[in-house]
Amino acid sequence: MKDVVATVKSNKIIAENVYMMTLTISENVGEIHGGQFVNLATGGGEHLLRRPLGVMKVEGNDISVCYQLKGEGTKKLSEAQEGQKLKILLPLGNGFPLEGKKKIAVIGGGVGIFPLIATIREHCADKEFYSYMGFRTKSAVCLLDELEKSRSLTVVTDDGSFGEKGNAVEAYLKDAAKLGADCIIACGPPVMLKVLKQKLNERANKIPCFVSLEERMGCGIGACLVCVCKKQNGENARVCKDGPVFKINEVNL
Amino acid sequence: MADLNVNICGVNFKNPLIAASGTFGFGREYDEIYDISVIGGISTKGMTLEPRQGNPVPRIAEGRSVILNAVGLQNPGVEHFIKYDLPFLKQKGIAIVANVAGKTFDDYGAICAKLDGLVDFIELNISCPNVKAGGMAFGIKPESIKEVTRTAKSSLRKTPLMVKLSPNVESIPLNAQAAQSGGADCISLINTLTGMAIDVERRTPVIANNTGGVSGAGIKPVALRMVYEAAHSVDIPVIGMGGITCGTDVIEFMLAGARAVQVGTANFTDANAMPRILAETNLWLDRHGIKNINEIVDTLKLN
Repeated sequence: MKDVVATVKSNKIIAENVYMMTLTISENVGEIHGGQFVNLATGGGEHLLRRPLGVMKVEGNDISVCYQLKGEGTKKLSEAQEGQKLKILLPLGNGFPLEGKKKIAVIGGGVGIFPLIATIREHCADKEFYSYMGFRTKSAVCLLDELEKSRSLTVVTDDGSFGEKGNAVEAYLKDAAKLGADCIIACGPPVMLKVLKQKLNERANKIPCFVSLEERMGCGIGACLVCVCKKQNGENARVCKDGPVFKINEVNL
Repeated sequence: MADLNVNICGVNFKNPLIAASGTFGFGREYDEIYDISVIGGISTKGMTLEPRQGNPVPRIAEGRSVILNAVGLQNPGVEHFIKYDLPFLKQKGIAIVANVAGKTFDDYGAICAKLDGLVDFIELNISCPNVKAGGMAFGIKPESIKEVTRTAKSSLRKTPLMVKLSPNVESIPLNAQAAQSGGADCISLINTLTGMAIDVERRTPVIANNTGGVSGAGIKPVALRMVYEAAHSVDIPVIGMGGITCGTDVIEFMLAGARAVQVGTANFTDANAMPRILAETNLWLDRHGIKNINEIVDTLKLN
């Protein structure tokens, strides 16, 4: 975990209101795993909080993150020019634990697909990934080329404007029996994860399922206790430090 | 390089930079980024007798040059601190300020009694704006400030007492004097200003608690004025905080009368904020040929 200065290599729109920024980091920050995130400064002095963004891709000294335009901070990020310097604290959080897993079902929704892409890229040499990606509508679909390393890719949209009409959870459940995955990883809007948990439990699912959560953060390193989620045992867990990846039945969704 | 040691109520801080309560946990996380033994001290996460879960999320929002938080005193309880966190902090060789809160006068007395002699300072949190019972309720009126300070002080034989004042009050001078007359050994201020952030799409406050404590660079002018007022209304030392982001901010607070400072929100913006601010403070002192940082305290020349 290091706070370093990165140089913006590219910063472009990849879907409606969604951007991809690639940053070059010359310092050694250690290994970065799929499911981990960075805390990126917006470049605007009036924004005191960093933006926590899941890593989408690591290539040599370059790291790519994606973000949705939400407010003034992400607006400022979207204006960053090639060559601009931005401070970045990384790598943060735990990542998806896939040791010993061979056949992994990947369920992504909207801007939740990014940490899943990094995970597929990291492990595709010795693991099989079967991806189910859901988007709101055609204009929200992005980065399908980055998902090519999946053994299969199913894309659905809420309105049927791209791929089948439906959602990623349903799409996976339809295939679940014949797929026979030994692990599920998921990231997406809270409602998607909630439905996934409910459906898996209804079916007495025995396969380990890991979800990556999102929460408004302060420090990003576990000190300020801002980004907590509730565990099944009633205790709080820190999304930034104890997560962002949790076993689906370990947390309340 | 100037001598940066400051002595407050007999406690030595190797430099006047103290991590502010609630922004630095119990030091472990920042110690993964830099060796926290370089800072003068740490004010711990606010502690209560029993563990507390705190408020629902979202607990944080951002405004221009400020943030708002409403964590609601989530903490593992004082016993957990004594067993697991205190030994870690002791080996760091920094001054340990235990920030404590309670729901009743008795709570404050009991928690102080548990920590007496174990830490370098107790900081009485009577100004947390984010919990319903206690906290803020004690910190608004001079009478209750004096009473809660007296209760805490009567439980302390060895450890000096710092009382943290709220800015959400009628009179800083009267409240500072109330703390002093209740037996406070020193005062720290300001805690956060109560505020609100609104999500226009959802038409709701961003923070689940609806209101939150405003902190960060944007509150510095208010904090400076209040620190100046406090320092000029009591005889006991004053520790200043509120929006400190760089070395000259430290100098400003010390000119206004603070004997030391606390750094909070800046840790979120820049995880290495405290070592950086320390280096910048040193540069200013060197540039002005000042050999001992204590020389600048309360040397503000009013117009």
